[in-house]
Amino acid sequence: MANRSFPRDVALQLIRDLKHRNVDYADVRAEHLLHESLVVEQGHVSSISLSESCGIGIRVLKKSSWGFAATPHLTRANLARASAQAIALAQAANLLNKHPRPLAPVKPVRATYRSPCTVDPFKVPLSKKLDYLLWANTTLLGPDTIKRATSHMDFYKHRKLFCSTEGAQIEQVIVESGAGLEIVAQHGHEVQVRSYPNSHHGALAQAGFEYVKQLDLVGGAKTTQQEVLQLLRAKPPHAGDTTIILDPTQVVMQLHESCGHPVELDRALGQELSYAGGSFLTPEHLGRLRYGSPRVHIVADATIPGGVGSCGFDDEGVPAQRVDLVREGMFVGYLSSRESAARLHLPSSGGAMRAESWSVPPLIRMTNVNLEPGDATLKELCRDVKHGYLLSTNKSWSIDDRRLNFQFTTEIGWEITDGTIGGIVKNPLYTGITPKFWGSCTGVGRREDWRLWGVPNCAKGEPMQLMHVGHGASYARFDGVTVAPAQ
Amino acid sequence: MIGDTKLLNALSKLVKRTRADGVGVCAHAKTRRVFRFAHEAIHQDLTQETVNIVVKVRLDHRVGVASTDTLEPKSLNRCVRAAMDIARHSPTQKDLPDLPRSYRARTKADYHLSTIRNSPSECVASLQHLFHLCQGVGAELAGSFVTGEDEFAVVNSGGVACYAASTVAGAKLVTMYRKLSGFASGVHRDLKHLDVNELLKRSLSQSLHRREPKMLPLGAYEVILEPEAVAELVTWLGYIAFGAKSVEERTSFLAGRMGERVMGPQITIYDDGTEASGLRLPFDFEGTPKQRVVLIDRGMASGIVYDTTYGARFGHPSTGHGMPPDEVEGPLPLNLAMAPGKTTIPEMIRSCTRGLLIPRFHYVNGLLNPREALMTGLTREGTFLIEHGKVTTPVTTLRFTQSLLEAFSHVLGISKERRRIADPAQEMGCAVMPALHLMKFAFTGRSET
Repeated sequence: MANRSFPRDVALQLIRDLKHRNVDYADVRAEHLLHESLVVEQGHVSSISLSESCGIGIRVLKKSSWGFAATPHLTRANLARASAQAIALAQAANLLNKHPRPLAPVKPVRATYRSPCTVDPFKVPLSKKLDYLLWANTTLLGPDTIKRATSHMDFYKHRKLFCSTEGAQIEQVIVESGAGLEIVAQHGHEVQVRSYPNSHHGALAQAGFEYVKQLDLVGGAKTTQQEVLQLLRAKPPHAGDTTIILDPTQVVMQLHESCGHPVELDRALGQELSYAGGSFLTPEHLGRLRYGSPRVHIVADATIPGGVGSCGFDDEGVPAQRVDLVREGMFVGYLSSRESAARLHLPSSGGAMRAESWSVPPLIRMTNVNLEPGDATLKELCRDVKHGYLLSTNKSWSIDDRRLNFQFTTEIGWEITDGTIGGIVKNPLYTGITPKFWGSCTGVGRREDWRLWGVPNCAKGEPMQLMHVGHGASYARFDGVTVAPAQ
Repeated sequence: MIGDTKLLNALSKLVKRTRADGVGVCAHAKTRRVFRFAHEAIHQDLTQETVNIVVKVRLDHRVGVASTDTLEPKSLNRCVRAAMDIARHSPTQKDLPDLPRSYRARTKADYHLSTIRNSPSECVASLQHLFHLCQGVGAELAGSFVTGEDEFAVVNSGGVACYAASTVAGAKLVTMYRKLSGFASGVHRDLKHLDVNELLKRSLSQSLHRREPKMLPLGAYEVILEPEAVAELVTWLGYIAFGAKSVEERTSFLAGRMGERVMGPQITIYDDGTEASGLRLPFDFEGTPKQRVVLIDRGMASGIVYDTTYGARFGHPSTGHGMPPDEVEGPLPLNLAMAPGKTTIPEMIRSCTRGLLIPRFHYVNGLLNPREALMTGLTREGTFLIEHGKVTTPVTTLRFTQSLLEAFSHVLGISKERRRIADPAQEMGCAVMPALHLMKFAFTGRSET
């Protein structure tokens, strides 16, 4: 699809106009988004779609209040109306808001950023993508017990211009590519699911089509099929407290729910109470609370190449940065915005303000929240485990509104006995309390096994915004964890 | 607001000038105004307008789908070209179902000007009043207040041309007092009927207690689930079990069990997109009129919902549950309801010797073992212990892990009053649910600080 013309000049004119509208601050985001989705099921093309979206979001700060308005209708009259609406909202909110909203300083810059991309996925012929998906899909088929085999690809191109009344003018182009397989098998009352290389469309990176080729869907399909068939006949895990080793795909969800969300400073300040909840990591704990064992180092790194939470600048024009969240097990940092950073007297914003699209204001979101690697091989992590489980690939997830009590199930597990990884177990479930769980971390895998994944459906805000966030991890071992069969 | 004539004309012209074997276009135009507040301040307010047009074309037994976000003719044409291009490069598909035919409808029955004409200042004045009431009792307030309008339209080359406009207003109120918090939410098509004072009263009734929350031993408890809690669970049932795709894949607990008893005889669950008590929409995204489908009939597995694709595969007509053409989840029930019973929540409480009163659940997940409808989730604000027929002590957060088939097989009572539950910031979906009194519900974990 040939793109709609990018409203660059319109956005620049808008910000010039807003400088004369008696506001304390304003920014304008012009954005154009393309998303191509391809799904093959049971050897047939199930869906191919291409979506395009283009519009402008206007955010103003006037006295004690923000106002935001967004429109896809880019005529002069509509944009003037949207500007007026944003200002009117801020003025109305000022009837209630009495305290000023200082912003942490940022140097306004003129800059451009392009995410790494070798092969533009939107220029790869559709037939080539489909051939590959069909090939991988047919490899999954065969036994009667396979009830559904799905292979999918997703490609995104996000072009955006941010400009502010402070003088910032930043253009960014971000390309993402992803692919994966999912297979559902059934025998009698037993139904099992297995995904490759990760569940929930987690194989997603800021990269071009070269990333999809690296995933080797065809190579992974046979193992995926074998594992799902083995799961139909596998035993469940024993219930009890034991050692678990999470592989990187499951550490991702553990990081996401029990670290990434509670370190969002807006949650910690109570601004998400009506939707997703609060956080146990309230400001008085910053620098004081032991979050995990000394082996646990967690960072928010928006600078890492390939991470779907990476950028040149966030949606407030703050440069991408790497922020320590947990250092040697101590809670030391937040994901923050200019406003929330100023409220906590932090020297600068953590650069974590991101919006799903032009139509919504930015919120504090995860960038790439990563568990830094240790030095152990998987064999070394298993070595002194008398009995435990290696767990892989998230299946279900749930955590309380302060991010303390969590429960996860994974698609597959393997029993570990006397340091050796043995047979497959089905329906493994584990549960715990966040700081107690991370406090029981007795080993973190080496850099060679460390891998970046994406979570493309992180929900937050009203209206709900689905954000692409990244997580990097290696294996991690935890002792004394409550495990049970999910049945 | 775009309006029925303009929107239908734009889509009809698009369908007419598209040279394909079949064309279907669906459109959703939406505006929302949202105020979010906490700790005596509005921290976020926004107004947004969005349009989404999805075009699905058929060409020599091939299908292509593309979407755009404007009604400008140039963009629509580009969108059609993209869909045609995709179709040309797609493999042929056997047995493509016929497009829905000859359905025409226009309705603004659920469009209320009073919802839209409310100014930002009037909204803030309402919030000021709520903050003032909370301050008067020493409580804090957080939440959101949403108003908006939606226009849906579907036009296809089979003669379908339908349009529905509606408005929505809703509020979520979290009140906090010492270590306790309460929650209430409400949604209505007409802002005049959204009683935020009543919502505040309900939220405060959960939080204004002097007793400290108590940590309970884990195990099975008798529970009284208020409608919001029931809605969380039944909505998950809709996602994992009531659509034809999950039945075809055998992940649904209804697969192979049609006509069998799966729940207690008191439970009837149905989907009805035409019921005025819900946020109704008379047609689906394919332009098929919505039908009332009984899914669980007095405890027996009774039905599932279809779109044209899955209907053709199952040899069943579409029930009007088609999703937008770029969705891949298959048909889903978006207007779930549970039939009312004969009792009331106070009567349920009086009949309970020891149990829990639960106003809502948090972070429910139904993917643990869908064949058993095994779910987990947590209590949140306003959960209380019931002892000897009286609500006594607030309790700390508890996690349940429970098969709903088992829990819904031991029903002690269903309330005659039902509430409409929906997220007004989103565009689709509504549940109409009663309160449920269940004999046992398994709590397997608790939050600790």
